[in-house]
Amino acid sequence: MNNKQLITFATISALLANFATAEDLVELSIEFPPPMITGTPVPAVLPHLEPPGTPAPTIMAPAGTKNLAAGKSVTSSDDFPIIGDLEYVTDGDKDAGEGYFVELFEDIQWVQIDLEKEAEIYAIAVWHFHSQKRAYKDVVVKVSNDESFEDYKIVFNSDHDNSAGFGKGDNSAYIETNEGKVIPVNKLKARYVRLYSNGNTSNEMNHYTEVEVYGI
Amino acid sequence: MKDLENVNVSRRDFVKSSMVMSGGILLSTAPGKVFAQANPKNNAINVAIIGIGAQGRVLMESLAEIEGLNFKAVCDIWEPARKYGYNWLGRKTRQKVNVYEDVEDMLEKEKDLDAAIVATPDLWHAPHTNMCLKAGLDVYCEKMMARTVDEARSMVKTAQETGKLLQIGHQRRSNPRYIHAFEKLINEAKIAGRLTNANGQWNRSVAGSADIPYNPKLSIPKETLNKYGYADMYQFRNWRWFKELSGGPISDLGAHQIDIFNWYFQARPTSVMASGGADYFAKREWYDNVMVIYEYPQPEGAARAFYQVLTTTSAGGGYYEQFMGDQGSIKMSENPSLSKIYREDASPDWDQWVNMNYVKRSEAYNASKESTTVDSRETAPLVGYDLPIVLNKPPHMPHLENFFSAMRGEAKLNCDALHAFESEAAIFKVNDAVEQKRTIEFTDADFAV
Repeated sequence: MNNKQLITFATISALLANFATAEDLVELSIEFPPPMITGTPVPAVLPHLEPPGTPAPTIMAPAGTKNLAAGKSVTSSDDFPIIGDLEYVTDGDKDAGEGYFVELFEDIQWVQIDLEKEAEIYAIAVWHFHSQKRAYKDVVVKVSNDESFEDYKIVFNSDHDNSAGFGKGDNSAYIETNEGKVIPVNKLKARYVRLYSNGNTSNEMNHYTEVEVYGI
Repeated sequence: MKDLENVNVSRRDFVKSSMVMSGGILLSTAPGKVFAQANPKNNAINVAIIGIGAQGRVLMESLAEIEGLNFKAVCDIWEPARKYGYNWLGRKTRQKVNVYEDVEDMLEKEKDLDAAIVATPDLWHAPHTNMCLKAGLDVYCEKMMARTVDEARSMVKTAQETGKLLQIGHQRRSNPRYIHAFEKLINEAKIAGRLTNANGQWNRSVAGSADIPYNPKLSIPKETLNKYGYADMYQFRNWRWFKELSGGPISDLGAHQIDIFNWYFQARPTSVMASGGADYFAKREWYDNVMVIYEYPQPEGAARAFYQVLTTTSAGGGYYEQFMGDQGSIKMSENPSLSKIYREDASPDWDQWVNMNYVKRSEAYNASKESTTVDSRETAPLVGYDLPIVLNKPPHMPHLENFFSAMRGEAKLNCDALHAFESEAAIFKVNDAVEQKRTIEFTDADFAV
C-alpha cells in the first residue's frame, strides 16, 4: 500500500467515523493483563465501594476507535516519583509488579496525558496498581482542551465527600483488579486527560500502571 | 501539599543534577530541597532497613510513623528497591539515608547503628540477622526466622551469645485484638470452655499465587544474582517456590497461623501428620497445597489442630485461626471482618462478659431452621459476638513499637527469638511429615537450642 492509498484509506475511515450511526458502532475491545495478587491483604474499607466483581461496562464506539494515549507524553503534579517513570503510564505495559508502575507521593496527585490534538473520546481505562485488592480514594477524571484545566469536564468522580474540592461525585469507589476501571465517555472532545487520586486503602501513596484513552 | 510546593525543579534538570554517590551506590534522586536532612533526633534509635521488597515497604510505612527513629541506611541487592527506600524515606521522613547493596559493607561503614530491620528473602534471614547481632545491633527479623530449623536455631544462639534483642515478626503477638482474646477470653474468662480443637488456614486463589513479574529492563546482572544465591531473575522474584531459598507456602503463610496455635494453646505440639504435594504449579519445587494435623497437650486432654495452606483457591474466607471449645469458639483473623466469637447454644449466657466489655453482642445468627435443619439432632445455630477491641494502626506497627520499647527498656519483647523458635520448629517439621508420609512425634530436642 503506497502513501496515497494510506491517506485515502485514513480519510475515508475518518469520514465514516464522523458519520457513524448507532448501527455502525462496534463493541470496544480492551485488553486486560493477567490477574496477580501478592502480599498480605489489607482490608479495603470505604463507605461507597462498588460490589467486587462488578463487570466493566460495554463501550460501543465507531470502528477504528483506538487507544490514543499510547506513547503520548505524561506530566504530573509530582515532579519526583518515589519509583518508576511517568512514561510507564502510557507505555502499553499493564502488568502488575515492579517496573510497571509509577508511585507518586501522598495527598491529592494527578497525572495528565496530552493526546497532541483534540479527539472524540469514547472511553478511558485506568490501572492504578492491581497486585493488591485496594481502592484508590477520590478518583476524579477530567478532560479538557485547556492544558491548565481552567476549563474542564469531569467524566468520573468517586470523591463522595468533596475532599478533593471538585464537588461530590456520584461514582462508586472500586477495588483494583487486572481489569482496571473502564470509564465510558460520551463522545466528549478534548486533547488533555487528567486523573486525580488521593492515596489508597493500603497506603497514602498514588500509583499508575497504565492509562488508555479510546477515541478517534 | 506544602512539601510538594517546594518541588519546583523540572524533571530534566533534576535528572541532570541529582546523580549522587551514597554508600558506594550511584543513585538518581531528588535534590536537597526535597530531601532536606532533618536534624538527627537526640537519643533517637539509629535504624537500618535491610530488604526493601514488598514486606520491607510495608514495615517502612509503620516505621515512619514511630517517634524517635533516625533512619540511617537501606540495603538491598536490587537497585529499584534501594531507590525506593531512599526516595520514600527521604520524602516521607525528610531523612537522608545511605544506600547499600551488601549488608557486610553497610555494617563496616555505618558505625552508629542501633537496630536493623531484616525483611530480606528467607534464605538471608539467618546470615543477615547473625551479622547484625554480632555487630552489636538489636534486630527485628521477619518471619519465618529462616529457611531451615538449624539456621533459625543459630539465630537464637547468636542472640543469646551477644545479649542483643531479637524480635521475630509474628506481628499478631502484639495486636491488641489478639492479646485481648488470649488474655481476657481464653485465660481469664475461659469463654470457650475446654479447648478441644483448632482450625486454621491461609488459602489463596491462583491469581493470588501467581508468579511475581518484573520488568526485564530492571534485571540484576547475573553475577550479582549468583553471588546472592539466585540462579536468575525469575528465581530472585519468586524465591518462595524454591527449596534452596525458602520453606514453601507452609512456611511462608503457615507461619502466621500456626504460631497462634502454639500461643493460644500455650503448648508445644506433641505430633504432626501432614499431606501435600506440588500438584498444580508444574514449575514450582515446593508443595502448593498442604494439610496438617497437630496434637497439643492440654490440661484436660489432647487437642487437635488442623491447618491448611492452599494456593489454588481462596475458599473458606482467606486466613484465620479458630479455637473451638465445649462452651464456644473464638475465630480470629487479622482482618476484623473474619473474626467472630460464638457461644454454644446450651452454654451459660455471656452477659457478664458483655458487661465487662470482654465481648460485645453482634447480630444473632438468624439462619432459618426450616431451611437448614435436615436432622432433628442438629445443634441450634451458634450466637455470634464480636471483639470490642479495634486496631487503628497498620497491623505491623504495634509489633515494631514493642521492639523499640524493648530497646529502650520499657517493655519485654512480645515475640523474642526463643519463643518464635518454639513455634517455628513445629512448622519446619511439616515438610518432613509430608515427605515421609508418616506421623512425626516431637521430642524435646526438636525445640532445644
